[in-house]
Amino acid sequence: MMDVIQKEMSRDRRAFIKNVLSGTIAGSLLLVIPAGAMDLGNIPEQITGMRDDTEPFITKRKFAFIVDITRCIGCGSCCVADKNEYQVPDGMYRTWVERYVIDDEDNVYVDSPNGGLDGYQEPRKDIPHPVRDTFFVPKLCNMCEHPSCVQVCPVGATYQTDDGFVLIDAKRCVACGYCIQACPYSVRFINPKTKTADKCTWCYHRVRKGLLPVCVNVCPVQARKFGDLNDKESEVYKILHQPHVVSILKPGMGNKPSLHYVGLRREVV
Amino acid sequence: MSPEHGVAAATALTNFVFPNDLHVHWSLMIVLYPYITGIVAGAFIVSSLYHVFHIESLKPVSRYALIFALAFVAFATMPLLNHLGHPERAMSMMFTPSASSAMAGFGYIYSAYTVLLILEILLIYRPTLVALKKTSTGYMQKLYGVLTLGSDNVSEKSLALDHKIIAFLAAIGIPMACTLHGYVGFIFGGVKANPMWATPLMPVIFLLSASVSGIAGIILSYILIKTFTRKALDMDCVRTLIKFLWGCFILDFVFEMLELFSHYYMATHHWHQLHALYFGPLYGTFWVAQVGIFSVIPFVALGILSLVKLPDGVVKFFGSIVSLMILIQVLLMRWNVVIGGQLMSKSERGHTVFHPEWFEKEGILVSIIIMILPIVFLFLLSKVFPFWLDDDPAANKQSV
Amino acid sequence: MQQEYKSKSYSHVFKIILILIAVLGLGVAVRAMVMPKTFGEFGHYRGSAIEDEMNRPIRNGTNASCLVCHPYIRQMHLEGVHNTVSCEFCHGPMADHVKDGKVIADLPMKQGEEIKKLCLRCHNQIIRARPKESIKMISMPQHLEEKHVRIDHNCNQCHNVHAPLMWVNQAKAIVGAGGDSK
Repeated sequence: MMDVIQKEMSRDRRAFIKNVLSGTIAGSLLLVIPAGAMDLGNIPEQITGMRDDTEPFITKRKFAFIVDITRCIGCGSCCVADKNEYQVPDGMYRTWVERYVIDDEDNVYVDSPNGGLDGYQEPRKDIPHPVRDTFFVPKLCNMCEHPSCVQVCPVGATYQTDDGFVLIDAKRCVACGYCIQACPYSVRFINPKTKTADKCTWCYHRVRKGLLPVCVNVCPVQARKFGDLNDKESEVYKILHQPHVVSILKPGMGNKPSLHYVGLRREVV
Repeated sequence: MSPEHGVAAATALTNFVFPNDLHVHWSLMIVLYPYITGIVAGAFIVSSLYHVFHIESLKPVSRYALIFALAFVAFATMPLLNHLGHPERAMSMMFTPSASSAMAGFGYIYSAYTVLLILEILLIYRPTLVALKKTSTGYMQKLYGVLTLGSDNVSEKSLALDHKIIAFLAAIGIPMACTLHGYVGFIFGGVKANPMWATPLMPVIFLLSASVSGIAGIILSYILIKTFTRKALDMDCVRTLIKFLWGCFILDFVFEMLELFSHYYMATHHWHQLHALYFGPLYGTFWVAQVGIFSVIPFVALGILSLVKLPDGVVKFFGSIVSLMILIQVLLMRWNVVIGGQLMSKSERGHTVFHPEWFEKEGILVSIIIMILPIVFLFLLSKVFPFWLDDDPAANKQSV
Repeated sequence: MQQEYKSKSYSHVFKIILILIAVLGLGVAVRAMVMPKTFGEFGHYRGSAIEDEMNRPIRNGTNASCLVCHPYIRQMHLEGVHNTVSCEFCHGPMADHVKDGKVIADLPMKQGEEIKKLCLRCHNQIIRARPKESIKMISMPQHLEEKHVRIDHNCNQCHNVHAPLMWVNQAKAIVGAGGDSK
């Protein structure tokens, strides 16, 4: 019965509502919806076909993550969604948003109160000169091609999958903290609940189930983009293969991040 | 005051620390761990100076140095285990060591070194232990029975075999002691993300400071034990140790300064960060304490003690004071490297703060306990292994 | 005088070697016992760790998943300029609301000042960093003054939070195209 409703709805959403309201679709059907409907297991796929891919590694796709800092409005939706998704303890950040302010004297002021989780409600009041430029920079795991966290992990608890995800085995991590020291981007922390290293996974569990990373899903201005580089029609492919100002963080570290930034300014570290 | 104040105000304004960098993950325990392993490596080197390089004047402390090393090596992993979030999984480092991890090898190097140390002690002490077994009773006799591995054979043939093995162990022990501590330096030196640690000089500095702390530990404890037990000190031995301490400390101090100077001279964009660190939060512990008080004064004092003919009492008094200062210098160096390195945020725009608490899991009280335990263990070991040849029932049989 | 010994001259060395071999053997045996079954399946890590990560519970749904059960909101939300705003950003994660297809709790609806705070998270002009092409900005309280409404008015008194321009446009339609929203 649900299939019928869903099919009907995806065909023409507005018509569906109208039909329901005008009684064309039986009222009894409508009653079914709240009871047996959407569960987290059967949310419509956002990345089509992912649920058919049951191999240990993602076979047909090469995922890339792009942050467009020319679009970010610093609302912190991503941070809120991320904290909700992983129930991240206070004071630890899988993702955060930084605010950059540059004054007329070219001084750079950066802040990220509570990792941007509460948004940016107030302007900085401690800047003595007129402000020339200001922008937001979201940060998350760089999913390095040569991850130094994996290199230093003594027990193989942090590992890189064949499809390029850098993940943590919470059942084997000893929490020595070496990966935290080794990560040039400071995306790692020790989760006080599990007492193991923790970090952004690009929502591996969602991606494998055909959903976008939660931060990408909630971003109201498409500042965070996630897509398949094997698909030449995808937005990420086009951004990375057409003339855009695209760069990565700390290229000198040699980690080769798969996280790209559009419109990155030289002030950003 | 005013220019420094201006700098401080400017950094406070621009100070940006990555949200995850506010917390210092490697705290007091990771300060103690290289400190303890350093003392172990240094003490072993003292012993080897006699056993391998035949510096005869060090004979009085050659066996004591090994027991001293054993007392500390027994507790070297304690701060690490206390630091781990999951100490029950610690053996994973031995069972599934990652070949690419600079840390994974530590378990093996540490274990191999401990085994070597124990074997060397058992073989060197064997004639003594055999003799003690005969004179002891009850559980002490049983203990000596285990320690002699059930053998009572101290014939010339048997001791000659021991002697060969001891020489071999001592010989491979030196590179192993150097590896143990150079390697600890590399655990830090290999972290490319931290500009303070990531220098090829780091293993060298760690190794040299290890030698320094080990020798200083031996001098101080030798003088203290002999004084409190009202036994005669071998002043020739003390003077030789002071000379070695001076030599090692010259190298150690010069390399420490050289490392900083290279950073300053090359003046990469990291220097900006390091400068703010050394002249900011580390000013007191580095410039004032580590360099000013606990390096320059011992540096001069050791020179005088080594070069000027001084009365025994003066050498004894100042030798122990200087050794204590050196031990503090090395502890400060560990603090400044381990904690200091983490104060810099990878944002390259600021630093965080670290204030150890007295009663937390990795706090000051626990640190003090961990530093006292080896000394207690050393006292217990003294009941089993006579430190000095004068107290040794088998001394006349000793060949090594 | 040649002393007689019970043990052979090399017996202790022999025992040392035996003990070392025993320790090594014990190590190998324990390793085999505690080694995770799938360790090394794909690389130097536990292969089934991938599955563990994959099975992490999903806590946030998508707007599509929320709107399935909220058809009235659905129409408003999707037709309005807030159609890209996430339901769960304001109301909280779906996992706190639905479990195994059953509603387990109501998600909070923001009230009063909370609403204003949420609106200004994105629309506050004074935070200059926001690119104009992304979003419309307003200054408070100038915006209220310009629109000639009371200074203590809350945003949602003129703007439906799901479709901010809906009531404004309806009012315009009633008053006439040139009319003010008031």
